[in-house]
Amino acid sequence: MLNMAPWIPTLPFLSMFVCGAMFACKSQAIRNATAWVAAAAVAGSFLCSVMVVKGFVDAGSPAAGVTVPYFEWINIGDFHANFSFLIDGLTCVMLMVVTGIGTLITLYAAGYMSGDSGYGRFFAYISLFIFAMSCLVLGDNLLLLFLGWEGVGVASYLLIGFYYRKPSAVAAAKKAFIVNRIGDFGFALGLMGTFVLFGSIAYSDVIPAAHALDVSSLTGWRADLAWWIPFLLMMGAFGKSAQLPLHVWLPDAMEGPTPVSALIHAATMVTAGVYMIARLINVFNMNPTALAFIAAVGGMTALFAATIALCQYDLKRVWAYSTLSQLGYMFLGVGVMATTGAVFHLFTHAFFKALLFLTAGSVMHAMAGQLDLRKMSGLFSKMPVTAILMLMGCLALAGVPFTAGFYSKDIILTEALIKAPVLGWIGIFTALLTAFYTFRLWFRVFLGETKYEMGHEHHGYPVEHDLDDHAHGPHEMPWWPMNAPLVVLAIGAIAAGFACHGWMEGMIHNSTAAVASHGDAEHHHSVHTFVSIVAGGGALVMIALAALFHWKRRDLTEKIANAFSPVVTLLYNKYYIDECYNVLVRGVLNMIAWMSYIVDRVLVDGVLIDVVIGRTPRFVAHVGRMFQRGRLQGYGLTMGLGLAIVLFIMVWKVMAG
Amino acid sequence: MLPGMILVALVGGLIILPFFTPSGRDSAAKGAALLVSSVVFLLSLCMAFQFDWSAGPTTDHPYQLTIAWDWIHRFGVSLGFGVDAVSVWLILLTTFLFPLAILGSFGDDLRGRAKEFYVWLLVLQAALIGVFAATDVILFYTFFELTLVPLFFLIGIYGSGNRRYAAMKFFVFTLAGSIFTFIAIVYVAWFNAQQTGVWTFYVPQLIEAARALADVSVVVPMGVLGWLPLVPAEIHTSAQHLVLAGLFCGFAVKVPLFPVHTWLPLAHTEAPTAGSVILAGVLLKLGSYGLFRFAVPMAPVAVVDWAPFVAVICIIGILYTALICWVQGDLKKLVAYSSVSHMGFCVLGLFALNMAGVGGSVMYMINHGLSTGALFLCVGMVYNRYHTRDMSQMGGFGRKLPVWSTFFVFFCLASVGLPGLNGFVGEFLTIFGAFTATNVLGIGYAAFAAFGLILGAIYILYMVGRVVMGPLNEPVHEHGDDDEEHHEIKDLNAREIACLVPLAIACLVLGLYPTPLLRSLEGTIEHVTAGTTAVVQARAETENTTVITTTDQPTMGPQRTLAEVSR
Repeated sequence: MLNMAPWIPTLPFLSMFVCGAMFACKSQAIRNATAWVAAAAVAGSFLCSVMVVKGFVDAGSPAAGVTVPYFEWINIGDFHANFSFLIDGLTCVMLMVVTGIGTLITLYAAGYMSGDSGYGRFFAYISLFIFAMSCLVLGDNLLLLFLGWEGVGVASYLLIGFYYRKPSAVAAAKKAFIVNRIGDFGFALGLMGTFVLFGSIAYSDVIPAAHALDVSSLTGWRADLAWWIPFLLMMGAFGKSAQLPLHVWLPDAMEGPTPVSALIHAATMVTAGVYMIARLINVFNMNPTALAFIAAVGGMTALFAATIALCQYDLKRVWAYSTLSQLGYMFLGVGVMATTGAVFHLFTHAFFKALLFLTAGSVMHAMAGQLDLRKMSGLFSKMPVTAILMLMGCLALAGVPFTAGFYSKDIILTEALIKAPVLGWIGIFTALLTAFYTFRLWFRVFLGETKYEMGHEHHGYPVEHDLDDHAHGPHEMPWWPMNAPLVVLAIGAIAAGFACHGWMEGMIHNSTAAVASHGDAEHHHSVHTFVSIVAGGGALVMIALAALFHWKRRDLTEKIANAFSPVVTLLYNKYYIDECYNVLVRGVLNMIAWMSYIVDRVLVDGVLIDVVIGRTPRFVAHVGRMFQRGRLQGYGLTMGLGLAIVLFIMVWKVMAG
Repeated sequence: MLPGMILVALVGGLIILPFFTPSGRDSAAKGAALLVSSVVFLLSLCMAFQFDWSAGPTTDHPYQLTIAWDWIHRFGVSLGFGVDAVSVWLILLTTFLFPLAILGSFGDDLRGRAKEFYVWLLVLQAALIGVFAATDVILFYTFFELTLVPLFFLIGIYGSGNRRYAAMKFFVFTLAGSIFTFIAIVYVAWFNAQQTGVWTFYVPQLIEAARALADVSVVVPMGVLGWLPLVPAEIHTSAQHLVLAGLFCGFAVKVPLFPVHTWLPLAHTEAPTAGSVILAGVLLKLGSYGLFRFAVPMAPVAVVDWAPFVAVICIIGILYTALICWVQGDLKKLVAYSSVSHMGFCVLGLFALNMAGVGGSVMYMINHGLSTGALFLCVGMVYNRYHTRDMSQMGGFGRKLPVWSTFFVFFCLASVGLPGLNGFVGEFLTIFGAFTATNVLGIGYAAFAAFGLILGAIYILYMVGRVVMGPLNEPVHEHGDDDEEHHEIKDLNAREIACLVPLAIACLVLGLYPTPLLRSLEGTIEHVTAGTTAVVQARAETENTTVITTTDQPTMGPQRTLAEVSR
């Protein structure tokens, strides 16, 4: 069973080329079949994943995992990085998320993207993404993780820029890739440092070695390296998972098609940072300062993004900031070494956030691209199924008791309260905000007076021709392959919490991601109860408040917003961080670039090369020519000068000597 | 086999094309040139099969497939050919790129002088194979300089706008640099003749001789320059350092390293597409190959001494030219500047002097040849359609030229070092080599070089965003004297696709499965870096011992020990 593992990345890899080739065909029928090729490949990966998980469980779930070799990649000297896969509890969980949710969303996209001129291209990119993402979670060494890491980055780049004729999409794609590269810069250096410190980059060597390492016994540069490696790797995680201050790319990434937002920018790719830290928790543990820093940044991001989400009007952007915020929770979790909680939250979040994005996509599809909360209201009667499905996602995101989000968030908050009380309280406060902004959106879109304004877009571009069937009013998704995945996700959003609680605990505890917990069980239990009551009860209260402000008394909200307009403007403009980056980083760097170019043309090429080096021979020739003019006076003068100099030196010597 | 390949290319270029193809019909010359270069490629494949990959070079048998004739008996100059794993790969790169470059040039405007064009290309191919196959320094130098002549004419005749100035600058620049190389080589040969009483220019013999130069101390009076601040009146150094300085002058210009890179953007921009492909793909590698083949083994002590200095130059080049790329408006110039940035990585890895760094450097030579060569082909294809390279006039080609765009984005990703494609392997290994060479370079160098990864992403994405994405924006083409007015711009034709597909496959294969290539290099790299490795180890040991036994042996200077070890 375990030897099916190589097929998990291979199937989508092949599908990428097949889809590309089919897209190059002229025939429309062949082009339309690309969705089925991709869906079949991803579903095949899912089946293989299920078999691998089963094989792993049958093998007795060994804590150290099972290594499945595939083929050699980069080997030179004593450096080895191969395509070989490590199957352990953490990998199993991630595989189920990536290929499972991937299959559902590919199916949804088959309907959602129909009629798009880049239909085949889309599924080629999706295949590339699944290939890279499965390499990321399967790899048994840091370099293969890096391959997946950059691979999903490129897939994300291509998919954010999918509507490449829109300048905003192009800019967003570029931004995503470059911000990620900044993180990858740290990741690459951390990877190299790991090799220098441990002599290998395979998890099976690094993780036990890091666990056994007594950091205080290190001296000199080795100690420095052990201190820096977690910070460097952390940079990568912050870039990929959009934590402060590298978060700026994720909200813009919503320029991509909605299934992409759901799959890549909510459920799977952005959680890669959490996966990385959980996987390497022993390495990060070499430097407790780094872990504390991660927890602090996670907590801050959670709060920061939740406040922004309160004041956004774009449906997808609210979910984007909510994703940032939830990722912050996960980082808070890994930062306080609650890897089980963090990965569990990753798992449940994948369900409900994918559901929320896809239902938002349904609304967007039904409203011809309209995403502005101010321009839609009371759509429940028009699309009840979508409304109920989204409600289930909202309940899970808000952390209403016994939904999926409730269980996973509680574990993180409990650990945080014990290990870092301040961050724990920030987390609880954020949980309340989350419930409020989630239901602010839902009440605004689906309840209240039925009133809406249609958008003018079809598949990312403004509609030029007459509005077709998409335009006569909001309607349900007409096609079962689009609704079936939503139902599955909705069941997951509600049930994944209590159904998978025990399984998850076993899986993660039985993996390399587990670090022995030193918490007092009794103490734990009471804190856990406290968190459940405060967060769960608080969520219900906040939903009630949201109902008041955004359903029943919207006029009241207007007044409050007007009273606090500076705050609202600040939040609406996302604290002006993008603007700061534009001036301070992009502007300055661009100026340096221009200066370099001018220096290159004028100083290096002009002065140094052309004048100093290029003209020297000519100058020498000129000087030489002066003495060769054939004029007697000239020769006489030179002779006289020479004599004078010789005399001068002689006199000088005599005087000095 | 080796002289056979050179001969085929020369016969093709100098006899078949001028005398056996009907004049006035370009297609015959094109076909003949493609045929000849394909035959050479097949021959090189045969050579690769004949080559015994399992046998690494030894002191007694540094080369395989050797063959030698006397040339100038009095000075021991011979027509000696032979290869090791590195040169086999570079020859394969050369012979692989030539048919593709020739195929790619079929659509170019050759100003009615197609036959001559292909004559020069084939002569260039012969010279390039000669450079990689020569085992005699004089022969190497001859071929090295011979490459200038065809390129001078290729740029000067078939280039665009400013071609004469570009050709002249290119020629003078590289010639001036390589004169110092020549002096250094002759000095080593003279020294060897003094020591052994026999003149020879056989490379391994000269390497042996040059290593002893570490003990020969020389005083260089700085003359007029001594008046400048910070410059001492005279410099005490070893003869080996001077030899390295001479070698470095020539090769650094060829690579090119900052600040002697300024000929390259000009030459590339003005050269015809095939010229650019070969210039970027193979010619730049002559510099790094020269450093690898001569500088590193001949002057190990000096190389170790200079490594940090060279690394700094490389890093300046990487970052500075990457930034310059970002503000280019000319598509071809951007790719040209990116070559300077990329070659900085290549030399950085070489001067890390460890297996990963040098292996990565050789890998980089091959990868850069493939991906940048392909990018130049892509740029040429757009130029043939729109007769401009100005990016401000372009945009949204993804819609107009989808196939071209796919290839272009693919090669851009290869060039930016996406893992899974070829560029990554070299880029990673060179930075990794610098990082792990804790006794030579170290973490700081790697960190600065890795910053180039970010800048690389910025300029490549800027280019892709400008050209492939965005609203469609087609250059207005002026067809004043053309009869093909208002012809519809079409996507790539079968010939152009055939030209890019082999490159794309090579990029993918080398990106996913480079292990065989890397493993095949190990023996050669070990052999070449044996001298420097010994120096580095000795230096590390003396450092340790001086720390422990400073009081015991105060008179034992580290410099002396090094020289002894390096011999």
